[in-house]
Amino acid sequence: MKSVVYSSPFVPAEWIAAHGVRPMRLRPDPAAALPSTGPLMGVCPYARAFTSEAGTSAGAVIFTTTCDQMRRAAEWLSLEGTTPVFLMNVPATWQTPAAARLYRDELQRLGRFLVALGGAEPSRDRLAATMETYDARRRLLRGDLAAMTARGASEAIARFDLGEEPGNGGPPPGTAAPLMTLRGGSPDPPRRNAASSQSLTPAGAAGRETRRAKTETLRSPTSHVEEPAAHKTAASGAAVAVIGGPLARGDGRLFDALEKAGGRVALDGTESGPRTFPAPFDRRRLRDDPLMELVDAYFGTIPDAFRRPDTLLYQWLSRELAASAARGIIVWRYVWCDMWAAAAARLREATALPVLDLDVTGDASEFGRAANRIQAFMEVLK
Amino acid sequence: MTGTAKRLTMEAFDRLCRRHLAAGTPMPGYAGPLARHVADGDRRLLKLEYDDSAAALRLWSFLLTEEERLHAARAAGMKIVGAMKDLGTVPVMAYSLPNVVAFYPDGAWWTPCVMELSEGLFGIAQSLGLGDALCPVRAMAGAFINQAHFPIPDLLTCSVGATCDDFSAVAQRLESLGHPILWWEMPSRRRPESGEAAVTLPGGFRAPASQVAVVRSELERIRDALAALAGSPLGDVELAAGIRMANRVRRILGELRSLAYTVEPCPMPALEMLIAEMLAIHFCSDRAESVAVLSLLLQEVHTRMAAKRGVLPTGAARLFWVNPVADLRVMNLLEDCGARLCGTEFLFCHALDEIPEDLPPMESLASMALADPMVGPSADRAARIVRDARAFGAEAVVISRIPGASHCALEGTVIGRIVREELGLPVVELEVPPVADPMWPTLKTRLDALVETVLERRKR
Repeated sequence: MKSVVYSSPFVPAEWIAAHGVRPMRLRPDPAAALPSTGPLMGVCPYARAFTSEAGTSAGAVIFTTTCDQMRRAAEWLSLEGTTPVFLMNVPATWQTPAAARLYRDELQRLGRFLVALGGAEPSRDRLAATMETYDARRRLLRGDLAAMTARGASEAIARFDLGEEPGNGGPPPGTAAPLMTLRGGSPDPPRRNAASSQSLTPAGAAGRETRRAKTETLRSPTSHVEEPAAHKTAASGAAVAVIGGPLARGDGRLFDALEKAGGRVALDGTESGPRTFPAPFDRRRLRDDPLMELVDAYFGTIPDAFRRPDTLLYQWLSRELAASAARGIIVWRYVWCDMWAAAAARLREATALPVLDLDVTGDASEFGRAANRIQAFMEVLK
Repeated sequence: MTGTAKRLTMEAFDRLCRRHLAAGTPMPGYAGPLARHVADGDRRLLKLEYDDSAAALRLWSFLLTEEERLHAARAAGMKIVGAMKDLGTVPVMAYSLPNVVAFYPDGAWWTPCVMELSEGLFGIAQSLGLGDALCPVRAMAGAFINQAHFPIPDLLTCSVGATCDDFSAVAQRLESLGHPILWWEMPSRRRPESGEAAVTLPGGFRAPASQVAVVRSELERIRDALAALAGSPLGDVELAAGIRMANRVRRILGELRSLAYTVEPCPMPALEMLIAEMLAIHFCSDRAESVAVLSLLLQEVHTRMAAKRGVLPTGAARLFWVNPVADLRVMNLLEDCGARLCGTEFLFCHALDEIPEDLPPMESLASMALADPMVGPSADRAARIVRDARAFGAEAVVISRIPGASHCALEGTVIGRIVREELGLPVVELEVPPVADPMWPTLKTRLDALVETVLERRKR
């Protein structure tokens, strides 16, 4: 079976699998990036690492347009001519039927790419069955995560993304944290209904088309969220949310550094964490129109900093920060990531929580600087 | 060559202005010495050198009085549209309505340069969390906060998607501060697949017809918003008239570029050409006057050509310039190094190409918007640069990186690689900060070396 490698959470694994191709969501190793992958200055270390590794590890690579760097990196790899490259256009806007249609059309175009690679166009039943399988596996994974350490949970997701069954390689003995120390997202996140089948009709979209995003204050001065008693008693260390871009291979050391400094990860909101899980599928709609259900579950619900407006992200944060009782936020981002660089101050305003804007280069020798900053941040939170 | 028109210091340029005013040379009310703008803080003007002509006087005064025009428009009850990022599309639509003016808040990009960082826009941006990891367009956020530069628009639009992360991030921050934005999607332009219905866009790029349809549907939302703002319909008739007027500007500019970038000796300096090209994207808030200003420049070029008079010595190295420079003074520098402009791609070539008049207006506008060099593959952009550089007879290409811009590193590398392969020309990449004085020796050395290389290659 051919495999395709990708990084963005907006690429549905079940769509690839339904075509008979193996999906592999890769966490690249920045240390192994080839120096020849683009110029050193100005290129995101994550994009460089992904491009370098993806170009040699799979039958094809899928990039998305969700950030400048990855969009340009797709072209870089295409010019090399060594690996088939597909650049998937994921719209930044999401409130109009046209945006959802564009995403659906891109999935169909991706489907043709997969067929050209040797895959087969799936029947509706096959797609629905594949989606059901993934949904069940993801549900199992969500259940497993609650009992894991932050690093363990993150690595379990990474294994899941590479196609391993949940439960395999679960938390090693002695690494299980106290119950509910990690929250990476609600078990059943509410649908935003941005891209439902109904929303693709002009009538259903009328209201949304004129909608304006409003700045939302996630915590008003009178509405500070009280830390649930369970957290106070069941876990030690100051609860911290880690929000931001993708994790590369080895970035689990972030969680280690945080715990070593006396904190605990109460919410993994990185791009590699449960924040970017698609919503669970609706069984009835799965049977009626699986492709549109896929569009709705991914495009309609995944919150991210690149979306315009970015309302979904702040709605998600409002809900999850309250549930996690985080006392501080670490913004995890690679240098040259504009979207998360600009988000840090906004997060500070919107949540009234202390925020550490942690820019990393992917260079292992520089992680000590990041660890020092985490330690200082944790001292502030104590 | 029978003579060279010297570049003037600002003091000399203002003397020229006063002479023209005293002699009764017909000048619009906004024309006047640049010293008045220096008094307002535009200190970079003191360090620039200007073309010795009445046409240049009018050009500079027109550029530097835009904020006054916008405030006057507001006072006159006109509606103001702040178009963001699309660089050339939304203003064509907005100016099709009689009581609407449009401008690009993006233009604040140059304010830190013109005011030599004295205006504090970067500091304000930094306080909003928009630091120097982002490109100089972050100054725009500062201008919205201090409201010392342009009036807050009645409607803000912003194209996002395959545009620019820096801009998208800054615009999102603006919205979070209470400035509602009408976001519209610009898909990543791609090459048509086998068997897929395709169209040729203005400027020559090819794209799937389905992508034009997507952009058209997005522009329909802009059309509705503009009509609602103006309180009058924006029909195809009005749009067609607006397109014709925009094309008038583009045709004049096209002829001006063609002459300025090819005729020997060079009849118009690089700095004035940069400003002239900028007029195309939103007419500097006065469409009719932009026609007049560009016509005068063109007339000046024709006069100089007839007199075989140029602004630079014959034989200057012919450079094609990619990306706008954050510091305008670098346009003077390239000439000081013995070079001249022979073609540009300032990230808005789609605003220079004529808009098709034989298609339904919304389709024409969508085609034009999708031809934005930034939204497509860098290889497309490189192909356009190769074509234009060849047409203008460029002997080298300068890729001017924008500090902090996330798209520049890989894009510049791809463009450089293709240009070298296709044209065999030397390519140099520079990074130009908003006030480049500390970098001057480095920039000069690199440009000097490029000019030397060009001159050596002529001997082969």
